[in-house]
Amino acid sequence: MSTEQYLHGNLAKVLVRTQAVLALVILLLLAGLDFFFPTSYSLQAGLHGISSISAVVAATYLTHRAYALIRGVHINFKSLRYWTLGATALNFLGAVSGNWIYMRYRGENGPKDWILANAPAFHNYLMEFKEFISLFPFPLMAAVSFILYYYGDAIQVRRDLTQFVGITILVSWLFLLLGFVAGLVLAKLHFV
Amino acid sequence: MKQHSTERLHDSANASNVADSTTPVSGPLIAATLSPVLGFYTLMITHHISRVSKALDKTVHAYGHWIPGSLGSGPDGSIGSYSGKESLALMVWLLSWGIFHVLWRKQELPVNRWIPIFLGAMAFVTLCFFHPFIDPILMLLLSSGG
Repeated sequence: MSTEQYLHGNLAKVLVRTQAVLALVILLLLAGLDFFFPTSYSLQAGLHGISSISAVVAATYLTHRAYALIRGVHINFKSLRYWTLGATALNFLGAVSGNWIYMRYRGENGPKDWILANAPAFHNYLMEFKEFISLFPFPLMAAVSFILYYYGDAIQVRRDLTQFVGITILVSWLFLLLGFVAGLVLAKLHFV
Repeated sequence: MKQHSTERLHDSANASNVADSTTPVSGPLIAATLSPVLGFYTLMITHHISRVSKALDKTVHAYGHWIPGSLGSGPDGSIGSYSGKESLALMVWLLSWGIFHVLWRKQELPVNRWIPIFLGAMAFVTLCFFHPFIDPILMLLLSSGG
């Protein structure tokens, strides 16, 4: 490899990492700025938003690994175990903070009251759907983490098992994204 | 060579329902992924039960009183009977996982058959949380039940 090729390769690596970090920081601002909103529930809103966005980012990254698992491509299982464990923790935090913010959603003169008075379908159909399917990603990702730690590297010899792990990651991601978008729509309609 | 040995492991795993101790078996994986599905169905059934009457909603709610924020009123609100639905789903998920894991930890079960069942069950339970889909069915069931 010539010096020029090396520098160009290295530059691409630096740029891609910088882009990833910047994208994450900017995306987190979407919920991070909730901490400064003029409401008594800014802590709940910010925490739920940050944990949800982080969970979506981690799960989206994991879907790339999921396709490698489904195709049977060799991957680093040690790294996969760490990522799924992290994603499980973020999903748990998202569910717990979701419970916390849901209290205010249902509280006196809260978003639920406003939505029922002005756009009832958003509560009756969207929220009644979102509040339950948002609970799906945590147990699914917990199952994936358990499977990867339980079997260890021995799982690599069973293509059908690794494929199923990949499928479960994709299913978990789908529900996470559904819940995330529904939550954003409801927050846009009426903030806590 | 590695490919060949992998195929042999597949064959040996499929040859018997109870594999030897060195072969990874599918039982624990199926136990770990079946139990959340049962938890989701519990969540769905308890949700619709709580919609039938105030008394049933109270009964479901009672299972969740241990969760912070399950009771309360005013601007801070509470999560109400959602806490009971979560508690029952959590109980079914963890209990069934423990039971199936113990039963199947050395069992070879067909993963290829589990994939469509798992995906179908997930799709159906998701639809059952969508009121425009499930409410006409529930109304029919309630009216036929007297």
